[in-house]
Amino acid sequence: MKFLIRRVGFLLVALWVALTVNFFIPRLMPGNPAVAMMAKFHGHVNPAALHALEVAFGVNSHESLISAYVQYVGNTFRGNLGISTSYFPIPVSTVIMRALPWSLGLVGLSTVVAFIVGTAIGAVAAWRRGGLVDSVLPPTFVVISAFPYFWVGLLSIWLFALTLNWFPLLGGYSETATPAMTWSFVGDVLVHAILPAFTIIITSIGGWILTMRNNMITVVAEDYVKMARAKGLKPRRILWQYAGRNALLPNLTGFAMSLGFVISGAILVEYVFNYPGLGFMLLQAVQNEDYPLMQSLFLLITIAVLLAIFISDVATAILDPRTRSSR
Amino acid sequence: MRRKSRLGLIGSSFAMIAGLLFSVTPGLLGTSVAAAAPQVPLNLANEQGMLWPCSFNPFLASSSPYSVGVTYETLEFVNSLQSGKVTPWLATGSAWSNGNKTLTFTIRSGVKWSDGQPFSAADVVYTFNLLKKYPALDANAVWSVLSSVTQAGANKVVFDFSAPAVPYFYYVAGQVPIVPEHIWSKISNPVSNPVSHPIGTGGYLMNKCTPQNIQWTANPHYWQAGKAVVKTVNMPAFLSNNTCNEYLATGQSQWGAQFIPNIKSYYVAKKPGNAYWFPPVANVSLFPNLTQAPLNNVKVRQAISYAIDRPTVSKIGEYGYEPPASQTGIVAPTFSAWSSSAAVKAQGSSYDPAKAVSLLKSAGYKKGSDGIFAKNGKKLSLSIITNGGYSDWVATVQVIAQELNKVGIAATVNPIASTNFYSDVYAGKFQLAYNVETGGPTPFYELRQWLFSKNSAPIGTAAASNWERFSNKTVDALLNQYGTTTNATLQHAIVNKLQMVMVQQAPVIPVLEEVDWFQYNYKQFSGFPTASNPYAQPALYNMPDWGYILDNLKPIN
Amino acid sequence: MIALRTLGRRLGSVGRFLRRDKKALVGAVILFILLVIAVVPQWFTPDNPSAEAYTPGVGLSWSHPLGTTSFGQDVFSQVMAGTRQSVFIALIVGLLSTVLSVVIGVSAAYFGGWIDDLLSMFTDVVLVIPTFPLIIVITAYLKSASFWLMVFVLVVTGWSYGARQLRVQALSLRNRDYLLAARARGESPLYVIFVELLPPMTSLIVANFLGAALYAVLAASGLQFVGLGNINSQSWGTMLYWAQNNEALATGLPLWALAPGIAIAVLGSALALLNYAFDEVANPALRPVSRRRARRAVRA
Repeated sequence: MKFLIRRVGFLLVALWVALTVNFFIPRLMPGNPAVAMMAKFHGHVNPAALHALEVAFGVNSHESLISAYVQYVGNTFRGNLGISTSYFPIPVSTVIMRALPWSLGLVGLSTVVAFIVGTAIGAVAAWRRGGLVDSVLPPTFVVISAFPYFWVGLLSIWLFALTLNWFPLLGGYSETATPAMTWSFVGDVLVHAILPAFTIIITSIGGWILTMRNNMITVVAEDYVKMARAKGLKPRRILWQYAGRNALLPNLTGFAMSLGFVISGAILVEYVFNYPGLGFMLLQAVQNEDYPLMQSLFLLITIAVLLAIFISDVATAILDPRTRSSR
Repeated sequence: MRRKSRLGLIGSSFAMIAGLLFSVTPGLLGTSVAAAAPQVPLNLANEQGMLWPCSFNPFLASSSPYSVGVTYETLEFVNSLQSGKVTPWLATGSAWSNGNKTLTFTIRSGVKWSDGQPFSAADVVYTFNLLKKYPALDANAVWSVLSSVTQAGANKVVFDFSAPAVPYFYYVAGQVPIVPEHIWSKISNPVSNPVSHPIGTGGYLMNKCTPQNIQWTANPHYWQAGKAVVKTVNMPAFLSNNTCNEYLATGQSQWGAQFIPNIKSYYVAKKPGNAYWFPPVANVSLFPNLTQAPLNNVKVRQAISYAIDRPTVSKIGEYGYEPPASQTGIVAPTFSAWSSSAAVKAQGSSYDPAKAVSLLKSAGYKKGSDGIFAKNGKKLSLSIITNGGYSDWVATVQVIAQELNKVGIAATVNPIASTNFYSDVYAGKFQLAYNVETGGPTPFYELRQWLFSKNSAPIGTAAASNWERFSNKTVDALLNQYGTTTNATLQHAIVNKLQMVMVQQAPVIPVLEEVDWFQYNYKQFSGFPTASNPYAQPALYNMPDWGYILDNLKPIN
Repeated sequence: MIALRTLGRRLGSVGRFLRRDKKALVGAVILFILLVIAVVPQWFTPDNPSAEAYTPGVGLSWSHPLGTTSFGQDVFSQVMAGTRQSVFIALIVGLLSTVLSVVIGVSAAYFGGWIDDLLSMFTDVVLVIPTFPLIIVITAYLKSASFWLMVFVLVVTGWSYGARQLRVQALSLRNRDYLLAARARGESPLYVIFVELLPPMTSLIVANFLGAALYAVLAASGLQFVGLGNINSQSWGTMLYWAQNNEALATGLPLWALAPGIAIAVLGSALALLNYAFDEVANPALRPVSRRRARRAVRA
């Protein structure tokens, strides 16, 4: 019980910090979304129209910081995220909902695949320490994970889309296709997702391999594994059912965290591939000084990470009683 | 991100040529429509770095480019590429009276909104009074000069101005889209309510919109017979230039508004019929801060102008796409007819480093051992700010700085994130700023934006234009005088005098000419504007021009 | 004196370890070469890296080993000149965030009680806030990021994982006999921390430094690539920005985009190889390393 209270307490404090940071950053910095909107199109800057827009956007208002803060927290809890200034007059929540499925699909699936494949490789590598798999795969992928993601993306576009023409170049689906639950549209989406997913998987797999390998090495040295071997159990069974399972537990938090990060999309991968997800949207919000959109995205990402960690903490505590006391 | 040209210029030139062409050959236009085979859709390529908002409010900068000219029409079409040539659109004509303080439009009859309701003069009156009520919608600031808009009789609308306002014709007639009263009067807040299903009089109706694509279909009941014959038009959303350029180069799009590096090999050579045309429309200039030393010294400003080898700047910074500008401020060839030979002669050679050096010497500067000029122990060092979001501008300013360093002016490049850049420019917080003005259908508009003291503001307060803070009573009087006359000879004489001011005082230093980015494929669609037929501004972000062009395109085969 | 000797012994074992582990050796050699280029880039740049003085768009040639950009700059010289910023960012951010991690992590473990509770809570909060989005937001608000601003942002967002790890290890050491003995002798906390507590943690601290440096390289180049750095400066990320903006890959100038990317990958690999090797040294003292991997895989 004490463990649960501590975790809930942490969740609330972290949430409050994120909310507050989010409130203050834009207020401490210069900038004006109304100017951004007019400047984006090199439009005529009509001072009267500018002023009217500022009022519509709620910038340069003279209310006190405290009342603005209270109002902001209240609005956030009611789910009222405001109106996007770059997509004016579309509400932030609508803008986010349009991009959310793309990030969930692409980044979510790639993260799961990278986790599963990486964990399997890591387990096998640790099991046959010094073997072929262990001496080739972990170092290779650790080196690849040190490559800049976006550059790997650029390379794969150049190689597979521009030079070989195997894959489409950009976007979540063909430019003029109409989203619908039809086979041709789903196929179109999948073909468009292959290159960005490939980029995410090969650059993030190294981390999973290494973590799993390290955990496995520790677990393999434990008494109960030695015992199982002594009892003459099949190696395959020991690998997956005894050692693998226990080595995986500490990895759950890491996995939960990266699932939380799915919400932020793979920012630069989405940017490079013109992929219409949340990561791209965040960059675009930054470029247009769209504070409401930027703040909401940032908050959403933080909440997703916090919830994911909370759930994994609780799950780990249920699965593994030792954690409860060690905290 | 590469730079886009400004939106919001009116282009109108279609009017003259198109009017001529179509009135002469009506049969040609009217017959080619009904082909049996399904028509190839026209796909547009215009990177905006965002997904589509799917709101089509024609008065807001975030959505007007996708509705004005296409779905909503203006009273007349004013062509910026032909010195403001006027073609009637929703109005059949107009006339100034009352000492150029009253403008009366005759409204066309027989036009219908796309929902079948009749269009009338009342809609025009309603639209303008809507802008008065909601200043956030009045992007062209027409109510800064208007005093009233009223209906007279069945088909006349009278605009009363507070002072003679001839140049405002461009904004009132050519830039304000007319919206239906029966729809808009029911919208509770026209600023913040999304417009998802725009009802207009134009040739194209928004058919469906997803964040990744806007699709228009031809208005089956369009009031101009024989126009709007391309059936389907798509505008996919592009998040980056690279992907958009590739879409164009691979032939999936037939009309682009893109900056394309190495355009001949990258685009033109890729597919038969691919062509491009980059008509100049305004100047990209160095704005010197006139309120502080050393740039308050005219000799220093002139030295800067003479020190810049503009053809080199154009070649390296912009692949030669943006031609070198003239210190007179006249954009060639678009406005060549306005060029003053006296001003050109007074300027002499536009690139003359020796003259730059002698000007600096006569201003009291001496070259130090490091090759940099100095006066009273203070080095002549200048910082040039530019929009860090536009890589071509940063590259251009880097070349300008190299040119200035060659003659002994220590120049540094300071790229600033987009919004902060504009805030600094508007507030006058710079030494030299590299930026562009919007211009207009004649050179007068840009000169007025540059030089009219009322457009300026004290340092620290945002100025609408005239960011260098130029103030001269004689020049103000000249600019006001232009507004009172419709006499072309007198207008030319005034612009000639203003060019002389540009040369003698160098309040602004034009470097390159801003162009419209325009690529098209003439084997798939015909009717695009060309250098020999510049009937409208061709870039997809110019409204209402691109909608006006769309009405006149025809599929081939 | 004892402290120095202990430290010397530790560093000596690092040297032996480098000789023994090939991965570590390769990483160390690469890092050394890049460091030399970063300190004296002028020895390696035949041409002024920013001068737009040559024929644009030239391919491989003797005068331009990696060709020229579409602005007529020498790509090879640009890569060499860009080494400084990338390597310095890696080292400085690595160093500063390691110092911060040590200070916060070790004091939390050493002092325990409410200080530990407070510092741990603080560390955990910083740890879960999504780093790269936060960096993007901060650099955007602070106008374009100068070198030191970027260092600041990366340190502020990059220290927390290390602090957590170091705290765990320091906790496990805290109740060892020799530490208790030192306290019983009445030694000052500073003495105990620096002389008794830190030396056994050297390999973990080094591993942390390498991890933070790698994170800094990738995050900084990512920011520069999207134009949030100072695009007027010389760095590999900035080169990629310019190459991407002028479509180097599509317009037949692949070297312009490949060279800086490879340079970042080489620096990153050197750090990752060293880190991988040091992880193995540090591992016995440190059991669950799960969160750290998730941190390293910042979705940059």
